[in-house]
Amino acid sequence: MYGLSRKLFAGYMLVSFGMLLAAAGGSWDITNHLLNKPETFFAPPHAVLYSGVASAVVGTVLVFSASKSAAAGKMIWPMKLVIAGVVMLISAAPVDFGWHSAFGLDGLLSPPHFVLVSGMVVGSAGALAGLSQSTKRVPSVLIIIAILPIWLAASGMIDMFSLPFSETEHFNFNPHPTLGVVVATLAFPFLISACLIGSSALAGKRFGVLSMAGAAFIVIGVLTSIIPNSALTSTIPFYISSIIPIVAADALLAFSRSRFSLYTAGAIVSLAFFMLYYPLITYTYNEVFESKVVWPSLIAQIYFEMIQDVLPLVAIPTAAMGILGALFIDRLVRKKKYSITTYSNWHNNTNT
Amino acid sequence: MLKAIILTGAVAVALVVYFSLSLYIFPQSYQSIEPRKPQAIVTDVSLSASDIALGQALTISVTGTNNGEDADMQFVSVGFPNLTTTYNIKILKHDFDQTPILIAPGELLSSEYSDTDSSVLAQYTSIESFSRPWEAGKTYSADIEVIPKTEGRFVVFIKSVALPHSWEQAHYPQDGTLDQQKEFVEIYSVQVTKP
Repeated sequence: MYGLSRKLFAGYMLVSFGMLLAAAGGSWDITNHLLNKPETFFAPPHAVLYSGVASAVVGTVLVFSASKSAAAGKMIWPMKLVIAGVVMLISAAPVDFGWHSAFGLDGLLSPPHFVLVSGMVVGSAGALAGLSQSTKRVPSVLIIIAILPIWLAASGMIDMFSLPFSETEHFNFNPHPTLGVVVATLAFPFLISACLIGSSALAGKRFGVLSMAGAAFIVIGVLTSIIPNSALTSTIPFYISSIIPIVAADALLAFSRSRFSLYTAGAIVSLAFFMLYYPLITYTYNEVFESKVVWPSLIAQIYFEMIQDVLPLVAIPTAAMGILGALFIDRLVRKKKYSITTYSNWHNNTNT
Repeated sequence: MLKAIILTGAVAVALVVYFSLSLYIFPQSYQSIEPRKPQAIVTDVSLSASDIALGQALTISVTGTNNGEDADMQFVSVGFPNLTTTYNIKILKHDFDQTPILIAPGELLSSEYSDTDSSVLAQYTSIESFSRPWEAGKTYSADIEVIPKTEGRFVVFIKSVALPHSWEQAHYPQDGTLDQQKEFVEIYSVQVTKP
């Protein structure tokens, strides 16, 4: 790797890692809000979130300086995405402060939160694209570090449009309960399939990477959504059992290269969506299926009362969205060949 | 061919195991877990005087405890059935985790210790001091100042409720007079006389 490429690679890596920390910190913060834990500027979830933002900013500076050093200062699209994403992420902070000053407490969906999460999705997608263009074979650990922030940030975006957490004194941005369920049922399976099958595709379908990406998502879920709520800790075995379909899909992709296996893998991982998004998803489906007050200590009971009704009902659209996610990644993989050629041309120009 | 059969069989078994766990085994085991049982108690109530002159302020100090398991929320409510306005009530101090809220007549309140099933319109002023969550063994207190507006007997209703209301002892007192929410209250009063 040349000096410029190394700088660019390090930049993308820092952006991905930073976005991962920010997204995990955000997820932890949502749980603490649900539990009404006293909040200060220096609360642990905030510290994780700010550390992530700092890492993403340093990474973006490296990416930007690499783009300036490039021949004719030409910027490829992953760089543009990273810079745009981090600018959105940073600019959301003063807007959020202004929003709090004007309207007091905010809900999950608010204009500054939307900009912030959009910035995370855009920035982390740019970093992943940059990493995959920077090298012929992205190391397994980096694939996981780069995929997870996209997965978590996009999950946050879906949460905004499906969870009933956005009613405040001045605004009610809560989705209609049925719309919330529709959004969650269609978007989460697509996202899981796209992210997990994407990780496998980036690894050349070698066994283990998809499973590790799924395991990392589960670990983050346990650490940020389950352990902080002591009433849920006994449900950890249930949550981690979702590694089973993930490993099954990984094996299917690694040991069979047929398109049928690809679609089946997409359907299999997507069917785990109702379990992978536990415990928060309880709030979305409760609105339609149970209409109970979801006290944090009752989440597990309400969730397990619903699961036998919900899963059979959503299985077909869920599997269909999982297959669509797999198709989407398949298309991207085909396009990537073109991108690598474009990057090679840019790379040659910058190093001559 | 053999490889494909083994792979298909392994994936199928994995899925059967997974969905059996998720749909039957785990739900059965977790649904049998008892909900937490918080125990709400008002441990101390003191009124600054037993007789006051009209226009004089009365200070009520209340202390609540949770003697059971952690509650997602518990509140201590002080109601004033003789009052229909909120401007003559002040919170002098409190150590609850959240800021106490004043409830004016006309606001919607839950009733019969229920979360959603039935709600009633408040007919008189009350103040709810709460902590969310209220951990087991924790004690919180508040000092409330009120200026009665008429002569005669000035009544104060006091109760505490832990949520979710999972058993009988999640509310205090266990019996007595029912208030506007059809929930038991302890009654205190002072005599308000002409100055």
